[in-house]
Amino acid sequence: MKIIEARDVFKGYSRRRLFGFRGKRSDIRPALNSVSFSVRKGETVGLLGPNGAGKTTLLKILSTLIEIDFGSVTVFGHDVTRDPLPVRKRLGLVTCDERSFYWRLSGRRNLAFFSTLYRVPAAAARERIDMLLDTVGLTEAADRPYHSYSSGMRQKLAIARGLLSGPDLVLYDEPTRSLDPLSAQNIRQWIVENRARLPHTTSLIATNQLHEAEQLCDRVIILNRGEIIADGSITEIRRRFEAKEHVAHRIQCRGFALAGHLSPSPRHGLVGIQEEPGEESGSTWLELRAVRDSEALSFVLDAILRSGGVVLQCQTRQVPLDEIFVSLVLAERRAVEGVEA
Amino acid sequence: MRLAWAFFARDASIAMSYRIAFATQLFGNLLLVVILYYVSQTVGLEKLPALAEYGGNFMGFVLIGVALTDCVLVSLVGFALQVRESQTTGTLEATLISPVALPVILIYSSLWNYFMSAVRFLIYLGAGAALGRVDLRTVNGPAAVAIFILTVLCFLGIGILWAGIVLVVKRGEAVMGLLVSGMLAPVKLLPSWLRHVSEFIPLTAALEGMRLAVLKGSSVGELSPILVRLCVFAVFLLAVGIGGFNYAVKLGRQQGSLTQY
Repeated sequence: MKIIEARDVFKGYSRRRLFGFRGKRSDIRPALNSVSFSVRKGETVGLLGPNGAGKTTLLKILSTLIEIDFGSVTVFGHDVTRDPLPVRKRLGLVTCDERSFYWRLSGRRNLAFFSTLYRVPAAAARERIDMLLDTVGLTEAADRPYHSYSSGMRQKLAIARGLLSGPDLVLYDEPTRSLDPLSAQNIRQWIVENRARLPHTTSLIATNQLHEAEQLCDRVIILNRGEIIADGSITEIRRRFEAKEHVAHRIQCRGFALAGHLSPSPRHGLVGIQEEPGEESGSTWLELRAVRDSEALSFVLDAILRSGGVVLQCQTRQVPLDEIFVSLVLAERRAVEGVEA
Repeated sequence: MRLAWAFFARDASIAMSYRIAFATQLFGNLLLVVILYYVSQTVGLEKLPALAEYGGNFMGFVLIGVALTDCVLVSLVGFALQVRESQTTGTLEATLISPVALPVILIYSSLWNYFMSAVRFLIYLGAGAALGRVDLRTVNGPAAVAIFILTVLCFLGIGILWAGIVLVVKRGEAVMGLLVSGMLAPVKLLPSWLRHVSEFIPLTAALEGMRLAVLKGSSVGELSPILVRLCVFAVFLLAVGIGGFNYAVKLGRQQGSLTQY
């Protein structure tokens, strides 16, 4: 069952638009262009992209704060532009904006106020607020004013608010931005646990932290300049990337120096090679970039053995998501610049 | 009701958490009455011919003007301020994604301000009575309440419309001809062209009705022409206000600027 379905979405912003009169079409900067994707029930999808890629615009469209110009977006089968109220009833938004709470009120009173907005019955609201405060570890601070909270506590309260109405779809907008590594890890851990508790809840997580997407998401959508440049599970994207790109090998050896013995060899599929000192004295790590299914690894191992070196270990490294992300974004940028040129 | 109470309780808690500001505001209202008392002493205690139709009492006349204008300002400025404040504090986005319509959020967000305006109205009248300048025995309660409610409804429309404008253009001040409505001086003293202008401002009728209800004890029946006029103003202005506001929200959603400031 599809919870979100976006087809051919276009959203543009014009700087010369006032009271509904658009400027010239050339003045319109597309924030999203031909964006199509769907999210199934229970999926946790990461929305990745560099700053200005259109992630926040997309989240705002899904949460009915912004209308699209062309295309269609349905959430729970309701058109977000024409029929936003049923969408809002089943939606929770976790925003990283600390200012979105009432600073003079306590955490508990903030949650009580927002629970009324979501029409949660009073008795159920009290129970749910207690449960959520306990879950995110804010029970002791619940009656303190919000302004006395740390950034981590504010973020936890934002998560509690997003889940207050028991939403079927939770949109997270950079849930760990500006948090210290420990608090960020706690929040991520909590999201993982919550997902196990509520497997039918669908989540869309916009983040710039790729390891976060790797840890939390079944699938990622990578946006760049308002367009989707990759959509699939992390394994699929990695496999696709590795099929077209290079694989990375790491070799630990002793008694071998790179200088004078080895250099990149296109004939053998060896694209690049670098040397780093190992932790043990006399050992060296070699980092290889090679064409997939080429004889580069044999070529390097052979060179080490021939020069009297000893191979201690050899690993084929999984290309990190960061690297895939950077490579995809740069490739797309080069393609666009090539077309423009 | 629970929703309305949630907004009221939220705003009451926030307002009272600024204890000194809250206390000085109430003190300021009392001080204004004292100042008006001395102004009325200067003007003279005898009945003023220009105010004869309201009983000739200068202080009572001005107190009603100040009290009702206070309530009008809550509508005129209050809604736009609510929008602006929630944009700058960042709470607008969090409330907008809830399943409550924005006009409802806006109206409920002003309940506390209206309550405080009614409290100030009573402070002005009570202090005026304590100083012997307002005779509470002459007040026609039902007529005064009817005028008060219709005044609120009239300016609700204008206030909501103005809030819509602020939602789109972000900044602005409501420009209103409050001073030509007879807040501090009777309309009949104005030049004829300004008198015609004041006819189109609902506050003129509201002040006239409230003064007659409070200072002369006029009944609902006696005030029916004014009440009908205020009803017409209220229906027209509410329709324009809500229509204009919805249009502004639609524009804001199209431009993606609802939460920008």
